[in-house]
Amino acid sequence: MDMEYQYLVGKLQEAMARDARVSALDIRIVVTGGRVHITGEVPTEERRAALTEVATAVLPGTPVLNEVTVLGALGAPVHERIA
Amino acid sequence: MIRVAAIGDTHYAEDTRGLFRPIWERLAEDADVLLLAGDLTNLGNPAQARGFAEELRGLDVPVVAVLGNHDYHAGTPGEVRRAIEAAGGVVLEGESVTLRVNGSQLGVAGAKGFGGGFVGACGHAFGEQEMKQFIRVTEAAATRLHDAVASLHDADHRIALLHYSPVKDTLAGERLEIYPFLGSFQLAEALDTAGADLVVHGHAHHGAEKGLTPRGIPVRNAAMPLVKRPYVVYDLERRARPADDPAAVAR
Repeated sequence: MDMEYQYLVGKLQEAMARDARVSALDIRIVVTGGRVHITGEVPTEERRAALTEVATAVLPGTPVLNEVTVLGALGAPVHERIA
Repeated sequence: MIRVAAIGDTHYAEDTRGLFRPIWERLAEDADVLLLAGDLTNLGNPAQARGFAEELRGLDVPVVAVLGNHDYHAGTPGEVRRAIEAAGGVVLEGESVTLRVNGSQLGVAGAKGFGGGFVGACGHAFGEQEMKQFIRVTEAAATRLHDAVASLHDADHRIALLHYSPVKDTLAGERLEIYPFLGSFQLAEALDTAGADLVVHGHAHHGAEKGLTPRGIPVRNAAMPLVKRPYVVYDLERRARPADDPAAVAR
C-alpha cells in the first residue's frame, strides 16, 4: 500500500467525522478500481446519502460505491437476568 | 427484583426525531428505570439537545444518563445536560443518584469516562504535557467514578453507568488499534475497588455485549448499533450484604 493511498483514506475518514450531516467515526473506506467503496452502518437514510456527498466533495469525479447500510427496524427488547 | 432498561449511542439528530419516544413511552410495562449510556446526540448542539430531551420528557420511569464524546462535540455539553434535566432526567458526571424502585434502593453512579487503553497497551502520564493531560483526564474520571460508586454503599443495587468501556471484553470486534480511544483499565480498577453489581457502557458500536471486570463485576455494552434494540433490560436481584446474613452479623 503506498503512502499516497493511506493519506487519501485518512482524508476521507476525517471528512466523514467532521461533516455535521454524518459525524460518523466508523465508516470503512477502501479506494479500489478507481472507486471509493464505503461500508458500515448509520441510523438513517439521510446520513447514508450524505456520506456519498462527503466522499464526492473530497474526491470530485471519483465514483462512490456506497454500501453503507441503514440501521434497520430495531428488535424487541430482551431481558437478561444479572446473577 | 428491579428491571433496568439501558441503551447507549442513540446519536439523536433531526433525522431521528420521534424515533424513540413511541417506544420509551411504553417502557414502564417492561422496566422500572431507563439508563442512557452517552452519545445521546450526534453533535451535542443545543438544537439536538432539546430535540433529544423531547424524546424522553415525562416518561413514566426515572431516566438517568451520562454524556458521551459526541455530546461534547459542539462544545456545549452543559446545554445537553440542562435540556435533559429540564425534561425530568438526571445526568451524572462523577456523581451518583439513589432511586426508590420497587421497594429497593437503586444506586447509580455515572461518568462519561475516557480513553487511555488497557494494561500492556496503554498511555502513561509521561513525556509531553499533552500526553500527561490526556492520561490525567482519565485518572481524574476514574477517581470521581470510584468516589461516586463508593457513596452507594447502602444501596440495595449499585450500577455504574459509563460511556467509555472499563474492559477489553466488550470491545471484542473493534479494531485493536483503537482500543485506547474506546476505554481505559483505570475505570475498571476504580469499579473493582469501590464495588458495584453491574456496569453499563456504550461507545463501542462494533464490540461485544458481555464482559467482566478483573474482580468479576458484570459489564454490559448497550450501544444501540450493537444491540439493535431500543433498549436492553437487566433484571437485578437484590444483592446479599453482610447485614442480610444473621450469622455474619453475629460474627
